[in-house]
Amino acid sequence: MKPSPFTYHDPHSLDEALALLNQYGEEARIIAGGQSLVAMMNLRLAQPDHLIDINNIPVLNGIECQDRLLQIGALTSHQDILQSELVRQSCPILTNAAAHIGHYAIRQRGTIGGSLSHADPAAEWPMIAILLDGEMEIAQLSGEKRTLGARDFIQSIYTTDLAPEEILTKISFPCLEENEGWAFKPFARRRGDYFIVAVAACLTLDQSGRIKRLRLCLGGMEATAIRLDEIEQGSIAHLPDENWIREVAKAACNEGNPVDDHNADVEYRRELVEILVTDALQDAFKGTQRG
Amino acid sequence: MNQTNDKTAFLNAGKTLLRKEDRRLLTGHGRFTDDIHVVGELHACFVRSTYPHAKISALNTAEASAAPGVITIVTAEDLSEWTTTLRLAPPIEGLLPIEMTALPKDKVRFYGDLIACVIATDRYLAEDAAELVIVEYEPLEAVTGMFAAMEEDAPLVDEELGSNMISHQSFETKSIQKIMKAADRIVESTFATARQTHLPIETRGCIAEWDEGSQHLTMHIGNQAPHPFRSVLAGRLKLRESQVTIVVPDVGGGFGQKIALYREELIVAALARHLKRPVRWREDRMENMLASSHAREDFARTRAAVDSNGRIIGLMLELIEDFGAYCFYPANYLARVVAMILTGPYDIGEYAYDVKVVLTNKCGNGPMRAPMAITSWIMDGTIDNIARELELDPVQVRRLNMLADSAYPHTMATGETMEDINPGTALEKGLESIDYKNFRKRQLDDRTRGVYRGIGICSVVESTTYGSKFYKAAGIPGSGHECAWVKVDPSGEVRASAGVMSTGQGYETAFSQAVAEGLGVDPKDVAIKLGNTDVAPYGMGSRGARGATAGGGTVYLAAAAVREKALAIAAKLLGLNSADHLSIQEGRVCWFFDGKIQETELTLSDIARTAYLDPTSLPDGMEPGLEVTKAYDPPPMTYSNSCHFCEVVVEVNSGIVKIERYLVVENCGNVLSTQIVEGQQLGAISMGLSGSMFEHMIYDESGYNQTGLLSEYMMATASELPEIEIISVATPNRRTPIGLKGMAEGGVMGSIGAVSNAVSDALAPFSVVIDSHPISPLSLRQKLRKSH
Repeated sequence: MKPSPFTYHDPHSLDEALALLNQYGEEARIIAGGQSLVAMMNLRLAQPDHLIDINNIPVLNGIECQDRLLQIGALTSHQDILQSELVRQSCPILTNAAAHIGHYAIRQRGTIGGSLSHADPAAEWPMIAILLDGEMEIAQLSGEKRTLGARDFIQSIYTTDLAPEEILTKISFPCLEENEGWAFKPFARRRGDYFIVAVAACLTLDQSGRIKRLRLCLGGMEATAIRLDEIEQGSIAHLPDENWIREVAKAACNEGNPVDDHNADVEYRRELVEILVTDALQDAFKGTQRG
Repeated sequence: MNQTNDKTAFLNAGKTLLRKEDRRLLTGHGRFTDDIHVVGELHACFVRSTYPHAKISALNTAEASAAPGVITIVTAEDLSEWTTTLRLAPPIEGLLPIEMTALPKDKVRFYGDLIACVIATDRYLAEDAAELVIVEYEPLEAVTGMFAAMEEDAPLVDEELGSNMISHQSFETKSIQKIMKAADRIVESTFATARQTHLPIETRGCIAEWDEGSQHLTMHIGNQAPHPFRSVLAGRLKLRESQVTIVVPDVGGGFGQKIALYREELIVAALARHLKRPVRWREDRMENMLASSHAREDFARTRAAVDSNGRIIGLMLELIEDFGAYCFYPANYLARVVAMILTGPYDIGEYAYDVKVVLTNKCGNGPMRAPMAITSWIMDGTIDNIARELELDPVQVRRLNMLADSAYPHTMATGETMEDINPGTALEKGLESIDYKNFRKRQLDDRTRGVYRGIGICSVVESTTYGSKFYKAAGIPGSGHECAWVKVDPSGEVRASAGVMSTGQGYETAFSQAVAEGLGVDPKDVAIKLGNTDVAPYGMGSRGARGATAGGGTVYLAAAAVREKALAIAAKLLGLNSADHLSIQEGRVCWFFDGKIQETELTLSDIARTAYLDPTSLPDGMEPGLEVTKAYDPPPMTYSNSCHFCEVVVEVNSGIVKIERYLVVENCGNVLSTQIVEGQQLGAISMGLSGSMFEHMIYDESGYNQTGLLSEYMMATASELPEIEIISVATPNRRTPIGLKGMAEGGVMGSIGAVSNAVSDALAPFSVVIDSHPISPLSLRQKLRKSH
């Protein structure tokens, strides 16, 4: 469990990092927190010749909120997100999701950009990004930036749209609306584990108490988290009553194309979805009643 | 033992003290194998099989040998020059003898099996080179299940044996067959434990140093039984035992995985000698999980003949154990104990067992904390099944079949004699504490609300501290005695040692209390020196819950002998005719006079100084010095008992089990150190719950291990485990020093049974019975779906 040989680079600016990436291309990997990459290197599942450490590029780190858009630097650690008052006020589902990531030591080192670039289908950030239609800001050597919605960025298991020469620099989430109810319900055998199945939901109601917008996302049912667009659309103007919750849960559990493994068979994943969707929608509804 | 073993008679045994080890361990100053560095050391890395079962048709190390930093790469042929073949052939009926070389010559038997060893200047380079070793395999069909292994045309794991069934023993009382035939009712039950591994936080590892000048090997290694390890290592290296010293530093857990001499350590030692340079090896986590040793994976079937009241009139056990591919222990060693002590606290005179152990293409098994872990689940699970089938209360069936506490000593049908235990008291005390009387009503009320609550009860009779007589009777070579010395230096400093070795249990604390008790000093003034075979006396090491009774007990006896000598000297110095009324308390000689204990001016230091430096003042004929080495052979078996109670709520939609209450009533005799015993109880129960609810070493049908990483192998953490309440109903053992008993394994036995029985009880409305582990949410859903 020792990595194969590699050259370590320690750029102090984004330009320097991009130049290195351009130079080494697919032979290089970026290391931020290293919580997945180092394990893969130790198992020799990843054998990069060049490791480009972005920890000394301060511009990549930090949380701010402008025009109801929460912007998080890619190098921001899970723990910093968990502890951020700004995040808690503007997008509390992120705070809740961060609390489910690994354990304290992992959260201290692991970063949101690293998690999204790694695109583990059982990880919290890719799922939350898909739920909230987060926008990825990507830097290129030319000095150009491009932005991409989460659903386009995350393509499959461990696969993103990121080119070998690019760096994910920032993730933006629209702030939750006032009185928007939300819930994140992961199911894992042990505290801190990657989830087996997870459900995330955001719900807003109009003044008459009918559904204005539902966002509903399943994790663990496909190679990426999936949004249930049809159910979301079909729920608009519905009364958010127990009946509706039951119907949505029943419909949601037929979504996706999950696999059997020793943690869960297909049927069990669907059973969990039904339970977790029910739970999530009940919580989200309660959230809408807070104001 | 000429003593009352009345707990109140002890001044130091049973006290709660801060652990002596913790100053260094909790401040980061522990010294583990990895903290030791030797100038010029080389690093070993093993090339391992990527097939579950295959012939090695070619092995090419040329490119790897030329890689940077590589000193040498050795194969089976090289090792056969430097090491002998292990032959394990105890004269046990039904057990096939096996032979094992340092490296497999022609074929590999499991995924992770050894092929070659790379020695390089650091571990990174060694791993780089290991990747360059070219192995050509000719894949063979793998046998991965115990039932498949017993089929006639099954592929053979070890061709030399001609069969995969390496061990088969049976026993029956005279009338059991007749009783079973005549019985009105036979209740049949099955039980299956999952394959597990020990998972010490510190994996295996060692440093071998060969001193060419003195022709001496020093081995730094985390090991539970340093002297027996030395004997085997010296033998297999063709060295005299005096040429080998084993030094055990701090050890991060063993649980049975660090007893035997495995192949890796042998190879590292052989290479240090061959290269005349120190060689170190640290097993990485993946190696530890794939290829160190595994445990459990037992299947049991009981057939109980019962009358209409639930009284058991005859019991038959069939037990099969999947032992994996290699035996570092006699294969019958673990399963046999289950069969021997199965009936435990129950009055079952007619009994039969049939125990088979089979080899498969998986990592070999080794004893893991509570090798007989499944025992109490089998017995109390059988009782619960009887209650269910006859629609009786499970407590009623227990009471009906349980021996009265006054019936002990009692000899089981197998000839095992239990004494000084109180299973009846433990059961009743627990029932009262959990308010069993009202539980069934609570359970029914909850069911009407869709809440499925259950209670599981498991009585444990724990076999501990196996004495020499037990080994002899079992046909296993070896001894159950232990050896210790206690020395008072001329300065009055007290040191003690024994052959057992701690892997984190806190022996330094517990043994200092044993010395304090025997000698009459403060525990803080006693230094305990363990783990160096040149310092410690030859002992049998730590296993089978023998640390306190064999280790601590022998230390106590040696300390008491030192006290006796010290008091004889004191009597002489004080001008008394006899030492009858003298004692030592906190290092000072006291005199019992006029109904009161009075201090004299004499201290243990004064006596020690006289003993060493003024021998002419000693009583006539007395040897100078103040030290005693003592050996002690405990009774054939020292039994403890406990009764476990687990209350769960099962969410039937998700299959999630919530433990709402866990309570254990314990009788582990008098103890040396209360908080260390409590730590062992909590640890053992946690290990059993984790094993029965979470852990599962999964092999696929082809023999590939699916769970070789900590992310895949589910071990419970503190977050998943319940609060545990402990109630003591201790009674001392009449024959052991201080009335000690072992206790470190019963918690595993009891928790496995209690949680399984609790889930079955909760799911009774669905007719779901837990008959296999782990009790995962998925497995419960699969069972519940079938019941609908």
